[in-house]
Amino acid sequence: MTATKPNAQNTKRKKVSNQRFELLDAILITILTLWGLAIFLPFVNVVSVSLTSYKEYLETPLLLFPKQIDFGSYQELFKDGRIWIGYKTTLTMLLVSVPLSIFLTSSTAYALSRRGYPGRKFFFMVILFTMLFHGGIVPLYLVVKSLNLTNTIWSVVLTTCMNTFYMILMYNYFGSLPESLMESARLDGAGEWTILFRIVLPLSMPIIATILLFYSVDRWNEWFQSMIFIRKSSIQPLQLILRSIVIDSQVLDTQAAQVSIEETPFTNGIKMAAVMATMIPIMCVFPFLQKHFAKGVMVGAIKS
Amino acid sequence: MTKGKEAVLPQNQGTFAARLKKLGSQIWKHRAVYTLLLPGLVWYFIFAYMPMGGLSLAFKSYKANLGIWASPWVGFENYRYVFRDPAFWGSIQRTLIINLGRLVFQFPAPVLIALMLNEVRVGRYKKVLQSLYTFPHFLSWVIVASIMTNLLSYDGIVNGLLGQMGSSVNFLGNAKIFQPMLYITEIWKSSGYSAIIYLAAISGIDVDQYEAAEIDGASRMQRIFRITLPNILPTITIMFILMTGNLMSTGFDQIFNLSNAAVKEVSETLDMYIYRITFQSSSDFSFSTAVSLFRSLINMILLVLADRGSRLMGGNGLFG
Repeated sequence: MTATKPNAQNTKRKKVSNQRFELLDAILITILTLWGLAIFLPFVNVVSVSLTSYKEYLETPLLLFPKQIDFGSYQELFKDGRIWIGYKTTLTMLLVSVPLSIFLTSSTAYALSRRGYPGRKFFFMVILFTMLFHGGIVPLYLVVKSLNLTNTIWSVVLTTCMNTFYMILMYNYFGSLPESLMESARLDGAGEWTILFRIVLPLSMPIIATILLFYSVDRWNEWFQSMIFIRKSSIQPLQLILRSIVIDSQVLDTQAAQVSIEETPFTNGIKMAAVMATMIPIMCVFPFLQKHFAKGVMVGAIKS
Repeated sequence: MTKGKEAVLPQNQGTFAARLKKLGSQIWKHRAVYTLLLPGLVWYFIFAYMPMGGLSLAFKSYKANLGIWASPWVGFENYRYVFRDPAFWGSIQRTLIINLGRLVFQFPAPVLIALMLNEVRVGRYKKVLQSLYTFPHFLSWVIVASIMTNLLSYDGIVNGLLGQMGSSVNFLGNAKIFQPMLYITEIWKSSGYSAIIYLAAISGIDVDQYEAAEIDGASRMQRIFRITLPNILPTITIMFILMTGNLMSTGFDQIFNLSNAAVKEVSETLDMYIYRITFQSSSDFSFSTAVSLFRSLINMILLVLADRGSRLMGGNGLFG
C-alpha cells in the first residue's frame, strides 16, 4: 500500500539492473513527459487566461504565457459578491462538518473495534449493509425535507458527516493497535474512557490526520447534496458558485459573443479566475494529501 | 458434536430470567462502548435506514400532505409505468454502453501508467511525474469540467491549435464525441491516482525473480511482460471485477458537469434520468423512487457478485 515510500526492495533492484540509458528509457520518458504535459498545460492555460487581458486573449489563439499580466479578471470576480458567498458557505460547512465527522467516525470505529460485547456483530452488519444498499437521493431528500433541514447548511452537514469507507479505514487502524497495551491499562484499573483518551487516541493521530484531510477535501469539493438540498442563493457553496459562473453560463456566452466583443466583459477570464479561486486551496493541501492517499486508494477505487 | 453440546447446554442456559440478567450485566459492563456507538447508530438510522424505509414509496402513491409513511399503497402500479417509459430503457442502455466503454478504454490506462512509471530510473523525475498525475484526482468534477470547457470551447486553446491547421471542432456540443470525451477526461483526472495501487503491487514483487531473469539474459521488455505483468495480474483482475460492480452507475458528477443540452441524447444515463425525473420535470416522487429502488437493487446484486469474485481471486473483497 505504501507506494510512495522507497523500500529496501526498490533500492536493491536499482543495483541489480544495469544503469545504461537505453532506447527504451528514451521512449518511456518521452511518453510519460508528454502525458505529464497533457495534464500540466491545461492548468497553465487556466492560469494564463485568468491573468490576461481580453485584448491579448483575442489576439493570441495559442495562449500559454501572457505577455502582460492583468489582474482585471480577479478584480471583476471579487467585485461580484457571489464568490464571497461561496467561500463563506464552504468554510462554514467545513468548520462545522469536519469536527463532527471526526467525532462520529472515530467513536463508531472505536466502538466497533472493541470485542466481546453483546450485539457487536449485529451493529457491524447493520452498518456494512448501508454500503451495499441505500435508499438513493429521492427518499433521502424527503427525509431531509421532513426534518425541516432543507435550505440550511445542516442538510449538507448532517447527510455527509459520516463516510462508511473512512470509518472502516479507522476501524482497521484501531484493530491493528496492540491489544496488550489496553489489557495492561485495564489491569492497572483504567476504564474504557481513560483507555480511549489516554492510549488509543494519542496513538491514532496518523489515521485521524488522514481522515481529517479526506473529509476536508470531500467537503471542499461537495456540490451535489447542496444542489439538491439548498435552493437559497445566499448559502451556496463555492463549487456551485463556480458551476453557475462557468458551466451554466455557457449558452449565454455564445449568444453574447455573437453580438459584440468590445462591450462585453471578459467572461472567460473571470471564469478561469473563479477556477483558480476554487482550486488553489486544494493545491495548498496537496503535498500533505500525498503522504496519506496511499491508504485511501482502495477506498477511491471502490467509491468511484 | 451434538452430544457434547447437549451435555454443556443445561449448565450454560439456566432460566430465561437468569440469561436476561447475565445479558444485562454484560451490557452494563460495556456501557462505555455502547455510549460511543450510539451517535453513529443514530446517524445510520436517520440518514441511511429511514431513506431505505422511504423506498416503500416505490409501491405507494406519494401524496405530499400525507408524507412518506401515510401515503396509500398501490402495489406494483408504479413499475408498470416505469417499464413502459422508453426514456428508462434508453437510460439503461446508455449506462451499459458507457460502462463497457470505460472497461475497454479507461481501465487499462492506470495499468500502463504504472508499468511505465516503474521503469523510470531517475527517482526524482518519477516522483514529480507521479505527483502531477495524481493531482487532478483531488479536484471536483465541477473544476475539471470548467478546465475542459476552457480548453475545448470555440475560442479555447485546442481549437486555436486546430484553427492554425485550418479547422475547428465543436467538442462540447457534439453528441458523437461525447462518450470518447468522457473516457479521455476520466483518464486525465483519475488514472494517475488509480495507478498507485498497481505501483504498490509492483513494489511487492520478489526481487529474486528479476535477478534470476537478469542472469538468464532477459531483456527489459521481457522482464516487464514475463515478470512484472504476471505478478500484478491478480491485482488487475480484482480491480476489473470491482469495476464491473459499478456497472449500473456511471459517475453522475462527471456526466452532469460535462453534458449540456446539445448532447442530451447521449448523456442521459440512469443516474441522470433519475435526477431529471426527480428534480427537473414535474416530479412524481413515487415514480422516481420506483426507478431508484430498481437501481439500488441491481447495484446491490452486482456489488455482492463483485465481492464474491474478488474474494475468489484472493482479494480482500469490498470491505477491505
